[in-house]
Amino acid sequence: MKFVKKTDIIIIILLFVVALVSYFSYKFIFSDVPAVAQIYYEAKLVRTVDLSKNEDYTFRLAENEDVLIHVFVDGSIAFEESDCHDKICINSGKLDTVGQSAACLPNKIVIKIVATTYSDDKPDLIV
Amino acid sequence: MINKSLCIFMVLVIITMISGCGGKQRYEAQYLDVFDTYTQIIAYTNSQKEFEEYSEYIHDELLEYHKLFDIYNDYEGINNIKTINDNAGIQPVKVDSKIIDLLKFSKEEYVITNENVNIAMGSVLKIWHDYRTKGTEDPDNAQLPDFNELENASMHMDIDKIIIDTEDNTVFIEDSEMSIDVGAIAKGYAVEQISSDVKAKGLENALISVGGNVFAIGGKGDSNESWNVGVQNPDENSDESNVCITAIKDVSLVTSGDYQRYYTVDGVKYHHIINQQTLMPSDYFSSVTIICTDSAEADALSTAVFNMPFEEGEEFINSLENAEALWVFKNGEVKYSADFEKYIKQ
Repeated sequence: MKFVKKTDIIIIILLFVVALVSYFSYKFIFSDVPAVAQIYYEAKLVRTVDLSKNEDYTFRLAENEDVLIHVFVDGSIAFEESDCHDKICINSGKLDTVGQSAACLPNKIVIKIVATTYSDDKPDLIV
Repeated sequence: MINKSLCIFMVLVIITMISGCGGKQRYEAQYLDVFDTYTQIIAYTNSQKEFEEYSEYIHDELLEYHKLFDIYNDYEGINNIKTINDNAGIQPVKVDSKIIDLLKFSKEEYVITNENVNIAMGSVLKIWHDYRTKGTEDPDNAQLPDFNELENASMHMDIDKIIIDTEDNTVFIEDSEMSIDVGAIAKGYAVEQISSDVKAKGLENALISVGGNVFAIGGKGDSNESWNVGVQNPDENSDESNVCITAIKDVSLVTSGDYQRYYTVDGVKYHHIINQQTLMPSDYFSSVTIICTDSAEADALSTAVFNMPFEEGEEFINSLENAEALWVFKNGEVKYSADFEKYIKQ
């Protein structure tokens, strides 16, 4: 009787392959993007903005064109223009930290900063 | 054969471990239709379905409280606070016991806070509200309220003229010029009631925020770690988004600040928390955060302490057993009450 059987080796190799594949797929899926902005319209996620691209641009949602959203080079995002009456959305300023959010109630739009990888250390909420 | 089965079994075990099966999962929901603010619910439950049952329950309850405590809108078949205001000086109004309880609580807080949070200020707050709304819509012609108008309104904010009949469940405002505004207390009160209701239904790990009125039910999922709630830096030009990150469990956190609800007249910002003595926005601080076991009290205290000079507020908070405070001054300086530190994330 041999000390190491052929199937044992197969199992070991298989474990190794699975570990390797999961490690890289994990790295790939949760790449080093620190955070993304999720944009909700009427409580539905309608757009996800990558904040790590060092780009400066503005856009409007197809679902509601009354609000202009600005993405900044430094990886922050803000409500820039809105036809709402209280402008609380604009007053909320730039958002760039996981847990931050701002809403334009009259226009039913929410911007929320979320982590691409969940970690216990990051704030759950900023108020 | 045995080895082959073992091999398959091992692979299955590994896959299960990778996908993180078992234990509670984190879910989030949000609503825009209650208390004119943004509501977030984060919870750990065993399934999405379980989460949805709880979040829908919370949402339904919030909608009910919202209608009852509304001062701007009528709802068919409901007597709410607007109904009470509309009948000021005319007749008592029969209302839901939730309104009775809220008003009784508000009267108690008026006494406890040395008159620094007053729900009878409706007539003064309405003037500011109207000027703020107009000034935001048309910034070039934004104006400050006429001081005589404010002073006249301030003759009608005697909280003792709100007559609560707990036997008949009626409320009557004796002064026809007076009106109730529960903006400083209603959200916290609703969050407190709903949190305890949903806890009784079995929800163990959740963070509920109704426009910054936060309640932490238990900790985070299976690990039961504290929830991390950041206190926003009022200075939006600063690199730091937070002035402090708290670690909280089974307590409420509420912030009152000058940096969201405001309008600008001749380059000066005027926010929404109005001081009863000066009839102008309180200008001691940029924000005050209260951590307290009771969310309704946390809400009332945050407004009250925002209206007090620092020394008075500090002494007041340190005299309370179940509350701590954090002050952010206009120059960015931060101060804490005696035991606030135990809530700061290490």
